[in-house]
Amino acid sequence: MEIQLKLYGSSKILSNKEILHIKLPNNSNIQKLRSVLNKIISEKYLKNNLQNLSKTAAFFSEADEVVNDNYKLKDKELISIIPPIGGG
Amino acid sequence: MTLHTLLVDAKEEKISSEKAKKFILSEENGAESIFIGRVRNENNEKKVKAVTYDAHDKAVIKSFKSICTDAKNKFDKNAKIFLEHAKGYVPVGEISILIAVGSGHRDEAFKICRYILEEIKHQSPIWKKEHYIEGKEEWLPGHSIRPKEEVK
Repeated sequence: MEIQLKLYGSSKILSNKEILHIKLPNNSNIQKLRSVLNKIISEKYLKNNLQNLSKTAAFFSEADEVVNDNYKLKDKELISIIPPIGGG
Repeated sequence: MTLHTLLVDAKEEKISSEKAKKFILSEENGAESIFIGRVRNENNEKKVKAVTYDAHDKAVIKSFKSICTDAKNKFDKNAKIFLEHAKGYVPVGEISILIAVGSGHRDEAFKICRYILEEIKHQSPIWKKEHYIEGKEEWLPGHSIRPKEEVK
């Protein structure tokens, strides 16, 4: 299966596109997405810039609600990554 | 109308304190408190030329409304609140956030203003990327909104 990860804030370092397509095993949840994301960050040599992102980020479903680690992802689902925030 | 919240696209518009003052003006209010945040030219000993604000628009507006409603319920149900935050590239000296509160008394007006600012920093999905005079740029660290029980 594949999900679409909409990038915000520091996660935009991962790609020059707004959405990153991520391949995952079927029936993956957010916890699995975190581990795949961590691997992508390592492969892109971005550990220095995105240290802890896979641990500190929250994820929003299409309903713009935070989803927990057990949330089951659906094929082609659009998920937003919400790195630590800091407006104002 | 007692509440106005907006994310302002810096490419198209500038945040205006005149608009805010007009919005909160009321004969029922004896106090007005206005907070203006601007992009500063220095941070952590680095010379800053601008900040890019990124935002999850829908969630930001939802959080702004919820924070302002909480503030009214906590301090003054009749307060008038104007809240705008910039999105996009904002050069040094320009306004990044404006909170204006009209309330019956000064204490409530100050408290609402402060409450809204602090809650935005912890609840609203907005991110800052600083652009430095030397040419580099950097996303600033922030507060994680991942559910606390999941973080080991």
